[in-house]
Amino acid sequence: MAPLQKRALYSLGIGVVLAIALIMVFILKGDVTTFDEDQGFRLIVYALWIGVPLAYLIIVNLTLRKPEQVDERDKLIMGRAPRVQFLAVIFSLIAWVVVLTEVFRDQGQVPVIYLTLIMISTLIISTIAQSVGILIGYWRMGSHA
Amino acid sequence: MPNPKVTNNIRRLRFDNEEMTQEELASRAGCTRQTIIALEQGKYVPSIELAFRIARALGVTLEEVFQYEETSR
Repeated sequence: MAPLQKRALYSLGIGVVLAIALIMVFILKGDVTTFDEDQGFRLIVYALWIGVPLAYLIIVNLTLRKPEQVDERDKLIMGRAPRVQFLAVIFSLIAWVVVLTEVFRDQGQVPVIYLTLIMISTLIISTIAQSVGILIGYWRMGSHA
Repeated sequence: MPNPKVTNNIRRLRFDNEEMTQEELASRAGCTRQTIIALEQGKYVPSIELAFRIARALGVTLEEVFQYEETSR
């Protein structure tokens, strides 16, 4: 398995674990309104918020430390992955806008917590989609060894 | 409309070169083993630069390694 492919798999795992962790935090600590009242809840959410880019940076450094681990084919695959990333982010933002508009139409305002949630979910989706894009690239170019 | 296709003899040439491993060729040509696998499977067409490096690593000319075929769609 190519180092970049390995990195994509790790990133995908981390993205999925963080997404599940975030959903679990909200299920266990109550709904989104708890965010305003519970400082501990906010700290957990912020820790996850910082944890995503940190974990991602560590993975990039550990798996792609040497420049010779990435050749022209890896760069080509990496260059195509943002297409998947872009589509995933756009669709997730559209979903947020549609859902929030429909849910809070009567109130005329959206709770502040949703800003954090949109940002975290976009970051997680972006990381997962980039990994998926890279893995699709390897799959299409036929190297699974 | 013509449908250009680049084929190669990397696998055969590796065996002609004292059964050179994919890892060894990758190391000499400056790419990853996975790229050699993809090339041998015909799923990737290398850049001119990598094509030259592979030919040199195998000790042959570019055209002995890569062939350009033009077929109609």
